[in-house]
Amino acid sequence: MTGICYYDIVVCMNDKFFDNWTNQLRKGVLELCILNDIRNRKMYGYEIVRRLRKIDGLIISEGAIYPILSRLKRQGFVETSIQESAEGPPRKYYKLTPEGEQMVAQMNAYWQAMSGVTNSIEKG
Amino acid sequence: MMTLSEGARRSLEDYLRQARMYLRGSKSVDADEVEQNVTEHIETELEGVPEPVSRDDLVAVLRKLGSPQQWVPAEELAWWRRFILRLRTGPEDWRLAYLSFGLLVLGCILPWTFPVLVMTSFIVSRAALTETDDTHEFKAQKWFLYPPLIVVYLFVILMLLMWPLILFLSVAEAYERQFSRLQDDFDYWLVAMSAIVAGMGLWWSVVAVVFLKCRKMVRFLFRPFADGFKSNWALLMLVVSSCLVILSLSLGIVYYRLFT
Repeated sequence: MTGICYYDIVVCMNDKFFDNWTNQLRKGVLELCILNDIRNRKMYGYEIVRRLRKIDGLIISEGAIYPILSRLKRQGFVETSIQESAEGPPRKYYKLTPEGEQMVAQMNAYWQAMSGVTNSIEKG
Repeated sequence: MMTLSEGARRSLEDYLRQARMYLRGSKSVDADEVEQNVTEHIETELEGVPEPVSRDDLVAVLRKLGSPQQWVPAEELAWWRRFILRLRTGPEDWRLAYLSFGLLVLGCILPWTFPVLVMTSFIVSRAALTETDDTHEFKAQKWFLYPPLIVVYLFVILMLLMWPLILFLSVAEAYERQFSRLQDDFDYWLVAMSAIVAGMGLWWSVVAVVFLKCRKMVRFLFRPFADGFKSNWALLMLVVSSCLVILSLSLGIVYYRLFT
């Protein structure tokens, strides 16, 4: 009985730790993914969500992408333009600004470096 | 623009109101822009769904969008906004408990606002009581909800039972010089006090009879402390106060005869 309780507590604590860790990681990665997604061509909000939702485990709450886009716009990394749509009302398209280009390049380089370091440590 | 069923319309309004509430607390996002994007997202997701869109179809989309609470990191919000959000979005029983106790504490810190804040705190506590049929559901919330109730109930009971004392004392003072048959002030006040105590006993008997006749009202007025109020309690009060009337009246008559 005690063994089971102890096991449950440890598993529960481990799950919580893993959840917190993935949440923190996901927040940063999501911003990087959004910036990379609109790096080559402009996209409207729903289109970004549709593309990113295909990546398993990246998006927990689809609505979270819109505040990130708004934040990136306020920080001057993305800009918007309204464009007519054949399928319905005009759409708001997001694209990187020159500052955004610089930032995403920096972020990618950092991500590569961190990934390399993690891999090398893992391999010993 | 899609047509929504009544239930779906209400759910959407509620969701967007929540979203606005969280987003406006953050300085780093444009709440209107996000709301517009979210609305467009919902409309695009529901394209092809038979109209009027049912609540279930809408809720499935909203579930994927997630709770607006997750969209803005809590650390981006000001402390007072975090506090208000906790009050507005926390579980109903805890929200009211926090608010009630907060008002009481504020009333104690700012004495000139005490009566108003205590009354407000009392109303909030009573509102929390109305939310539940069984007060046993309140666990730790009791410590937050009950203090304003105790303060107000004690005041009300004290006023209800003791107000005639002021009246009797002023009447006794007014008639002090008219009873010339009594030898001195001490004799007069001994007789007067007996009459006053008898008067108080009479008033308490009246209150006891009212309590006996209107037990439901007593339980309602002094919830939750009077939830177990029984006619025996009122009867006991009636017997004690009647004995007090008889005893003090007898003493008063004896004193009066002794001193005249």
